[in-house]
Amino acid sequence: MDLLALAWKNLWRNRRRTLITLAALSLSLMLIEAAHNLSFGVYRTMIDSGVRAGSGHLTIYRQGYLAARDEKLSFDPDSLADTITGFDGVAAVLPRLYLAALAQSSRESRGVLLTGIAPRIERRINPFLRKLPDAQMLTSLNGREAILGSRLLKELQLKPGNKFVVTLQDRSGDLVSEMFRVHGVVETGIKNVDKTLLLVGRERAGALAGIGHEIHELAIILNSPDAEATVYPRLQALISQFPGLEAVSWERAMPNLFNAIRLDYASQKFIFVIMLLIVTIGVVNTLLMSVMERFREFGIILAVGASAMRLRTLVLLEALLLGVVSMLLGTLLGSLATWYLQVVGIDMRSFIEQSLEFGGVVFDPVLRAQWDLLWMVQVAVYLLFLTLGAALYPAVKAGRINPVDAMRHH
Amino acid sequence: MLARLALRNIWRNRRRTLLTLSAMVVSSALLILALGVFSGMLRDMLASATEQYYGHLVISAKGYQDDRDMYRNYSPEAIETILQHKQSITGYSLRLRSFGLLSFARNSSPAELLGVIPALEKQVTSLQNSLVAGSYLAADSPAGAVLGAGLARRLGVKPGDDLVFVTQAADGSIGNDLLTVSGVFSTGDYGHDNSLVLVPLGWLQRVMVLPGRIHETALRIDDPLAAAASAAQLRPLLPASLEILTWGDLLPEMREVVASYNVSRLIVVTILYLATGLGILNTFFMSVMERTREFGVLLAIGMRPGQIRLLVFLETFFMGLFGLAFGILGGVVLSLYMVRVGIDLSGTLTPITYAGGTILPRLGAVLEWSNVLIPALCLLVVSLLAGFLPANRAARMQPVAAIREE
Amino acid sequence: MATLSRLLLVVLFFFSIMAVPALGEQPDLRRLIRQVERQYTGESSIATVEMTVETGHWQRHLTMELWSLGRERFLVRIVAPAKEKGVATLKVDNEVWNYLPKVDRVIRVPPSMMGGAWMGSHITNDDLVKANKIDEDYDFQLLEENATSWVIEALPKPTAAVIWGKIIYRLNPETLVPERIDYFDEEDLLVRQISFADVQLVNGRRVPLRMTVLPVEKPAEKTVLQYRRLQFDVGLEKSFFSLGRLKERR
Repeated sequence: MDLLALAWKNLWRNRRRTLITLAALSLSLMLIEAAHNLSFGVYRTMIDSGVRAGSGHLTIYRQGYLAARDEKLSFDPDSLADTITGFDGVAAVLPRLYLAALAQSSRESRGVLLTGIAPRIERRINPFLRKLPDAQMLTSLNGREAILGSRLLKELQLKPGNKFVVTLQDRSGDLVSEMFRVHGVVETGIKNVDKTLLLVGRERAGALAGIGHEIHELAIILNSPDAEATVYPRLQALISQFPGLEAVSWERAMPNLFNAIRLDYASQKFIFVIMLLIVTIGVVNTLLMSVMERFREFGIILAVGASAMRLRTLVLLEALLLGVVSMLLGTLLGSLATWYLQVVGIDMRSFIEQSLEFGGVVFDPVLRAQWDLLWMVQVAVYLLFLTLGAALYPAVKAGRINPVDAMRHH
Repeated sequence: MLARLALRNIWRNRRRTLLTLSAMVVSSALLILALGVFSGMLRDMLASATEQYYGHLVISAKGYQDDRDMYRNYSPEAIETILQHKQSITGYSLRLRSFGLLSFARNSSPAELLGVIPALEKQVTSLQNSLVAGSYLAADSPAGAVLGAGLARRLGVKPGDDLVFVTQAADGSIGNDLLTVSGVFSTGDYGHDNSLVLVPLGWLQRVMVLPGRIHETALRIDDPLAAAASAAQLRPLLPASLEILTWGDLLPEMREVVASYNVSRLIVVTILYLATGLGILNTFFMSVMERTREFGVLLAIGMRPGQIRLLVFLETFFMGLFGLAFGILGGVVLSLYMVRVGIDLSGTLTPITYAGGTILPRLGAVLEWSNVLIPALCLLVVSLLAGFLPANRAARMQPVAAIREE
Repeated sequence: MATLSRLLLVVLFFFSIMAVPALGEQPDLRRLIRQVERQYTGESSIATVEMTVETGHWQRHLTMELWSLGRERFLVRIVAPAKEKGVATLKVDNEVWNYLPKVDRVIRVPPSMMGGAWMGSHITNDDLVKANKIDEDYDFQLLEENATSWVIEALPKPTAAVIWGKIIYRLNPETLVPERIDYFDEEDLLVRQISFADVQLVNGRRVPLRMTVLPVEKPAEKTVLQYRRLQFDVGLEKSFFSLGRLKERR
């Protein structure tokens, strides 16, 4: 115990050296923690908006719909939707149906993807509708109001309030038409979406297609992605009572989004490994340097009769203390940085030339961090072991030195 | 004289020198590698967006890319002078486009036909690398077709089958003719896989009754990131009726992706620089700091403070140069490994569509001189600063105080 | 003939007032418009038509043979020019097929192509499919009745799936043959105009043998249909309008 106190005193005897080492260790820890939490937050946001614009964290389909997108594979969601909405961890359940159709105005016609939605829930969840003014939102499940992509509106030469006709092939193979009115306009910045998006109330679309209440997709939005672990099994159990239906996680329903995130994540991981290596070499070098330069001092300690064992323990204890302090300090600083990045974030728009319009749908223009506590603890512990490991060699060496030589070692 | 002393000092305390150098070598090598990997990802992303369809630059009649009006066409003769511009253009493809109905047996589907000269098209796009069945258009193929996998599935066709294409031709007649499926591609891009068809240029010109005309010329250039500059350079050579657009104009969402990628890269690179700089700063700082006593002795035997500063400057400079030389060597070797071999992720990932492009699941790198020289220069400055501060402090001290310092 | 139809109209008018006073003159106009819309088909018909289509880019001239049964079924086959001879279109109820002799294939026009131009003209496939519903989808009102013309306004029923905001029919008061039909969008802008000329007596009916379609916003463009031969009540059977007949080359 007195050795620990001695180590502590020793550390502060050369205050400048200790402070420099401490700064190196804790600043490195802060950097790597903050950087990781930032990219962790960005991925979470990416998944979140992807899932919300797409088919949800979990999705229910008729078996085969996912692969073939065959309009005939629809199902009645009504009893299911209510049950699932009641599950813990479920934020919203969105029924949707998708129909290939032709939209015609007095002047032009275009191919569209007619999407029937439940307006109120969709409004709350779908990022495409985030910027839509309240007055432009659909008000009912079976009205004749429609929300169009901005480019589609332009190509059909329509204005808000104008009517247009949607023609499609219904379940029995007949061509059917229905009149709708432009109620809202959405600009996502994604060319394909702006060109083909056409949202209407799902009951109107279902009636037109001759499938009544049926839908193609039941998208389930969770309160947090972590809730998938508890909700998915319950969903599977529920679905097993409905033959012909399947529950699919977003990783399978949206393989493109999933893989894009995984690829990005893989490369980030690679960069983090490099960052960790850079920090490691910096830390190890700083420590080695600070210990190596003390051989003269070690010589004196040995000369005044301390055992080699005691000296080794002392060197290791010093490293341990240094490690613990910088672990705590670094994590504190890292937490402060994470907190700042979470609350304020980094606004990408301030880095980008004015001419670039940021849709804000594909990417949130503000990067925000999220807490990954497990990772923070892991890195902090890694740093502690690193300091100990770096002290091991000089500690062993220190025990072996000849006091006289050491003292000559200027 | 001082330089020789500096070199001797470096040599004399080999352990210290090795420690300092190792920090410099390892972190600069890793920094160069990381920057190379970042550039590699950006290049892959860009390549995926441009090499599948658009190319880097596109020359078309004014307004054509906006409304795809078939009458906005031109004769390739109009741009002959531009195509001679070999120093900036590394490939080009002449194309005619037509939207119409493709049918096989009882199935039909709307499709986008791109009439191309196979040998030229290969210079710009790389669909030939995405074939899942059959083969690419043969050079002399009179009526072959390479179509997307989704389209092929919907029509129920395989290589060898005959398709009918119907469209409105430029003379108002119903253009129609048979095509023979020669290959099926799968790029991972939903839009292309479900509607795009490559056919011989001559065939499409005949069906559309647009002999000798094209809608666009897709160009490939050396550096897609400098597309805007290349476009500006070629613009004066264009006839007034034509315009030249960059991939960024044609794929605005890709520009958004690149911009946001650049910002996150900036953030991570800043952190990398900070971490590297911190490590090097500390090592150098510490190594000079520990020599305060030695400087005290030097001062005591009559060396002037300015000479001490210069001595330390020279020492750190030599050490920095030496470390960087090895660091750059290591970084270049590591980057080259990533360029040549890379890390294959295809075991866990499938090709990914991303804002109009497809990325193959492989981590590679690009070796750019800016990714080597800039970090080298930065780290050298950091190390000089790290050495100068303690040397400056020691030089200003009273020799006795310096010697007494532990 | 003219007097007869006017008499008929007056009688119908009278009856309608007696029967459903609240509806005013509606049923007569509806019947009148149905007659206008069916003027070329009647019960059944055979015709030879020359179609001239002009756009800013090209002009083309086609000769076609037409067979129709009500407005639900018709068959059109190009007989000249030689390049397009044999190209044919069959419409049965809501569906449209094309036959392409060059590749010897029948292609069903999918919903996505319904907005496309029919044979390169200013008539869309959709016009062919929807035309028979005009009298069901609109409400009619007599705007003007004077010595030179009857002006009838057709306003779409509030929920009718039609693209027009308003259609104005101008009929000759003597013959009740249409002179012009104007198609407006919802902003009351004229989008398309069809005018009629060359009125002849065919099987006891007055029919304008020339029809000109003008897309008003594209002044350089028009489609002119000139009937060279027209015969009504020729006794065609439903079975005549088959895919087999579509492919018949002559």
